[in-house]
Amino acid sequence: MDLNLLQTLEKDRVLEVLRRDKQLRIIEEDRIRRMKYELQELRRRGAKSFARQYGERTCARCQRPLGKFWNSGAVCRGCSHRICSRCRVGAADWKCTVCHAYREVKIRSGEWFLEEKAKKFPVTTDKYETVGEKLLKTYNVLSHISVVPPTPPPHLDYHFLSRSGDLKNSKPFTKSMENLMVSFTSHIRKISTSQNDVQGDLLSVDNGRKASCFTYSTQKSLSDTDINKTTHLFKVPSLPNLFKKSKDSDHEGSSTGAEEETSFGSEYSGGKRGSSSSISTECGLFEGITVAGELELALAYNTSTSCLEITVGACRNLTYGDAKKRKCHPYVKLYVLPERSGKMKTAVKKNTTDPVFNEVLKYQIERHLLFGKRLQVTVWHSGSLRRKVFLGEVLIPLDGWRFEDKASQYFNWYPLCPKAESPSGGLVEQDGGELVKFSSNNQGELLKLSSLKCLQEKETHLTVRQIR
Amino acid sequence: MTDGDYDYLIKLLALGDSGVGKTTFLYRYTDNKFNPKFITTVGIDFREKRVVYTASNPNGTTTGKTFKVHLQLWDTAGQERFRSLTTAFFRDAMGFLLMFDLTSQQSFLNVRNWMSQLQANAYCENPDIVLVGNKADLADQREVQEKQAKELADKYGIPYFETSAATGAEVDKAVITLLDLVMKRMEQCVDKPPAEPANGNGATKLGDAQPNEKKCAC
Repeated sequence: MDLNLLQTLEKDRVLEVLRRDKQLRIIEEDRIRRMKYELQELRRRGAKSFARQYGERTCARCQRPLGKFWNSGAVCRGCSHRICSRCRVGAADWKCTVCHAYREVKIRSGEWFLEEKAKKFPVTTDKYETVGEKLLKTYNVLSHISVVPPTPPPHLDYHFLSRSGDLKNSKPFTKSMENLMVSFTSHIRKISTSQNDVQGDLLSVDNGRKASCFTYSTQKSLSDTDINKTTHLFKVPSLPNLFKKSKDSDHEGSSTGAEEETSFGSEYSGGKRGSSSSISTECGLFEGITVAGELELALAYNTSTSCLEITVGACRNLTYGDAKKRKCHPYVKLYVLPERSGKMKTAVKKNTTDPVFNEVLKYQIERHLLFGKRLQVTVWHSGSLRRKVFLGEVLIPLDGWRFEDKASQYFNWYPLCPKAESPSGGLVEQDGGELVKFSSNNQGELLKLSSLKCLQEKETHLTVRQIR
Repeated sequence: MTDGDYDYLIKLLALGDSGVGKTTFLYRYTDNKFNPKFITTVGIDFREKRVVYTASNPNGTTTGKTFKVHLQLWDTAGQERFRSLTTAFFRDAMGFLLMFDLTSQQSFLNVRNWMSQLQANAYCENPDIVLVGNKADLADQREVQEKQAKELADKYGIPYFETSAATGAEVDKAVITLLDLVMKRMEQCVDKPPAEPANGNGATKLGDAQPNEKKCAC
């Protein structure tokens, strides 16, 4: 069906209605996401965590011990777990709290309707879409162009791909600093894509150089403190100066121009590292650790239980979480993005940089809901005093995953990547810009200034390249 | 009222011949106003209303639980030339207000056609529908008798209301009845089939095989 049969004015009217509908849908999607997140939380609080095995004689929801005769619990019809009397909802026909909540969500989110509809109109695309949504998409192509992720350069690996896949789905959460971290970076990615568009060609050309800039900066932030960083940023020449410089270098010839450029690169990425570590000191998570090593994973989807089964095999050549004492107690943590739902952890392995886990982590999710999701696998060092040190991460897009393919179910080694790094330089100044929003301390002003500087720098950086 | 502070989003849709008063009906329901002018709807439109729904047990007693329901009421063009567009929207609605004009025999005769359109395009074979005879205030021009319409409604097993968008009579009741049907359907859908799809016995089969006798206790 198409709208071309209608007159232009009529078409506009209909599209206007569809846009209103979209507004409503956005609110609704937000509501559903909240609901599902809460459900996930509820489920997580209950049993079936792999870290702590629950015995036959504990309630599967609250973990309270059950007696043999007294308060012995009963099996829930929904999940077949043994449930104590306190974790039941309803009288004779009771369900456990989680099963009850699951049912509620199914009703309130309108999932029942989608399921019914799918019986009559089988879903072909992996995603439920309303007719209005489809129509609007078809006729709104123009306004969507800015959000379309750029085609990544061919030599970039899947991490970058998966990051750009996040664009449409990133929704900020404000649960904790850790969440904030993710939300703002994903938010930034959204903004920076438009720059990706512009930079597309630049990127493919000088990727190698950029990569070296980044590693350089990571090491730098190891030694420098946040304040140093910000002051360091003040030394950065202002916009007019830079323009002058860039012009000069243009006159002087290509060799000096190149030098200039590299130094810029390192400086601004240094700034970026500094600013992101100023946030991370609050959650004590990301130290300036050089990320190294690989992670072995296998993914499978179990259709009978609707579970995504992630087998964490092993890691090798990890960096020392505690570089001074040359110690490392690694463990692996999983999240499903963009909601950061379904947090799962492996056991901590002591004193090794080549830990072997061989743990299967299960995440219950309907197959079609995997669309647009990514698996975030992070490796952490569990230090003393609950201090955690980030050792690297792997992002795996789940929507394109061929679970049917036997080969994809075998173990694969994935190289670990540093966090919050993007193929585009565009991330850099946005990083700073967003920070301003979150920093409530009096450094806010400083940061704002620094980010502004970064931005200016960035622009000139670009102009330099374009001139050359 | 565009915030996410509600418990359910229910999408209803009004359909029927051109000029039976779908738009004015919905306008009366959402804004409690009457617009006697006839402005033909271009393709589709929708109105919204937030209502409080009081849950009731299957036996009719209220449980006292109240929910905030956000209603999205789709309005469709009755004109033939928008047909392909409007029928496409049928599948995203959870319940239907099938309307005809009490002063037009033809619009009543077309109810049959609309029913088959619904069967083909709605989300399932036997969706929740309420039959609405509008313009009840124009008693002297009446062409469709209540008995006639009631018989047809009974044949389909759906409730029937004679409303007037001009006076507001029965308008709320028709919508609330439909909402009630949809709310009950939700519970049913979640509770019966998905638990044991393999050995789905009695209950599910019945529902599938005899769509015309779908009426439950209501």
